[in-house]
Amino acid sequence: MKMYSFRYIFPQAFKSMKNNGWLTAAAILTITISLFLCAFFWMIIININVNATEIEDDVRVMAYIDFDVPESDYEEIELTLRNIDGVQSVEFVSKDDGLLTLEDRFNDTDLLSTLEGDNPLPDMFSITAEDSQAVAAIAEEVSALDGIYHVRYGEGTVEKLFTMTDTVRKASIVVMALLGVAAVTLIAMAIRLTILGRKKEIMVMKWCGATDAFVRWPFFLEGMMLGIFGSILALALALILYGQVFSYLTATISFATIVPLSQLWPGLTLFLIGAGVVLGAIGSLIPLARFLKV
Amino acid sequence: MLIQTINLGKTYKNGIAALTDINLSIDYGEFVFLTGASGAGKSTLIRLLFREELPTAGQVLIGGRNVSRLSTPEIVRLRRNSGVVFQDFRLMERNTVFENVAFALRAVERPYAEIKMRVPAMLERVGLAGRENDNVMHLSGGEQQRVAVARAIINNPLVLFADEPTGDLDPKTSDELIQLFADINAEGTTLVMATHDQIIVDKMQKRVITLDHGHLIGDTIGGWQL
Repeated sequence: MKMYSFRYIFPQAFKSMKNNGWLTAAAILTITISLFLCAFFWMIIININVNATEIEDDVRVMAYIDFDVPESDYEEIELTLRNIDGVQSVEFVSKDDGLLTLEDRFNDTDLLSTLEGDNPLPDMFSITAEDSQAVAAIAEEVSALDGIYHVRYGEGTVEKLFTMTDTVRKASIVVMALLGVAAVTLIAMAIRLTILGRKKEIMVMKWCGATDAFVRWPFFLEGMMLGIFGSILALALALILYGQVFSYLTATISFATIVPLSQLWPGLTLFLIGAGVVLGAIGSLIPLARFLKV
Repeated sequence: MLIQTINLGKTYKNGIAALTDINLSIDYGEFVFLTGASGAGKSTLIRLLFREELPTAGQVLIGGRNVSRLSTPEIVRLRRNSGVVFQDFRLMERNTVFENVAFALRAVERPYAEIKMRVPAMLERVGLAGRENDNVMHLSGGEQQRVAVARAIINNPLVLFADEPTGDLDPKTSDELIQLFADINAEGTTLVMATHDQIIVDKMQKRVITLDHGHLIGDTIGGWQL
């Protein structure tokens, strides 16, 4: 293909879109809806990922020290804990610190007097794992140590959380893939109708000795432009909606992190425009392969 | 030899044998009429010669090459050396005369500066000087066919195939078009024209290949054979 041919091919793609105005509008609208829904699921996945990562990073093994272990042995226990495979850090939490945390949680500044001056909490070690998935194994090893009478890491809850976030991620990816297939099908239909409408022109091109590439490029570009226009509209809608939802959720929800728009838009833009171009290209190649054998 | 067919046959999927065992040769610079009644196989033969369709039997050789076995770049090269004109003109109705003729140069990726220079010259040659900006639908049938001819020959093909080009034209316009074809042929372009117009064939006294029900029944120089 000669570069100056694109001076002809580009306007041809726009001309075709203009000449098939309603079809172009319908294709763009459908791509917009499909990609907007993809964006919706993408945003959910991003937020789930951020929160899941935070939760995962926050999963610790709490090792409660036997009441009869003298404080002089704490250093040795801490050393043993640090030497366990997969342990990233070990932090000593005294029973006084534990009480302060409890007071903070229950919003009670004088919990000790409620307990009649007797702090029933044990001293403990807070263990962070290098990989959150290794927490259960670490907990098992820690519970077998002398001087540790109880280990807690949110067993059951952590596994359920991992399963749930994983299921949501997978389901979102499947839904996005299905929406992608729907978008490709519609682009393919739009391009197919354009090809049928320009059958005579294509025949004349062939008779004149046009190369395959020359015949195909306008349709290929048209498909990609349908994808790009659809993705730009979907992006605008998604960003506006997310901005509104973000303001509402940050004001009402305190237990979860909502990714701010400023962090989300670059990735979302790349994702949607990229998806638009790829879906448009695939959508145009399908009918091109069938109809334009030169 | 420019064109040769060897035991050429074409049977369509519905079982109709459009051509059977056609053997003919056409040399460089010839003006050949393909004649016969409707359904004789003239259009099928034209389509096989410019490789719009492939034979189901035998071979079409252009410049000694079997057109059924050409690679994609060779097909492109073959088409760049052939021009084709149809009864129904097959112009792009929304476009101007200039755009329709320029289309053939754009298809072979000529730069716009060259297109701008060659199209008006070609229009002058076919008698349409100054009509560049007219919409083709505002032209008469004869003028539209001239646009189609200009588009077919602007890439200087070795051979021009014409399938009933005068079919929709009145006698006077047909005469003018045939004269244009004769001029093109005189300049060295081989011309293969399918027609069932006896008057034209008799008047031109060129080589006449006659088909009947898909069979070649005559190949002589002179007038109408049937």
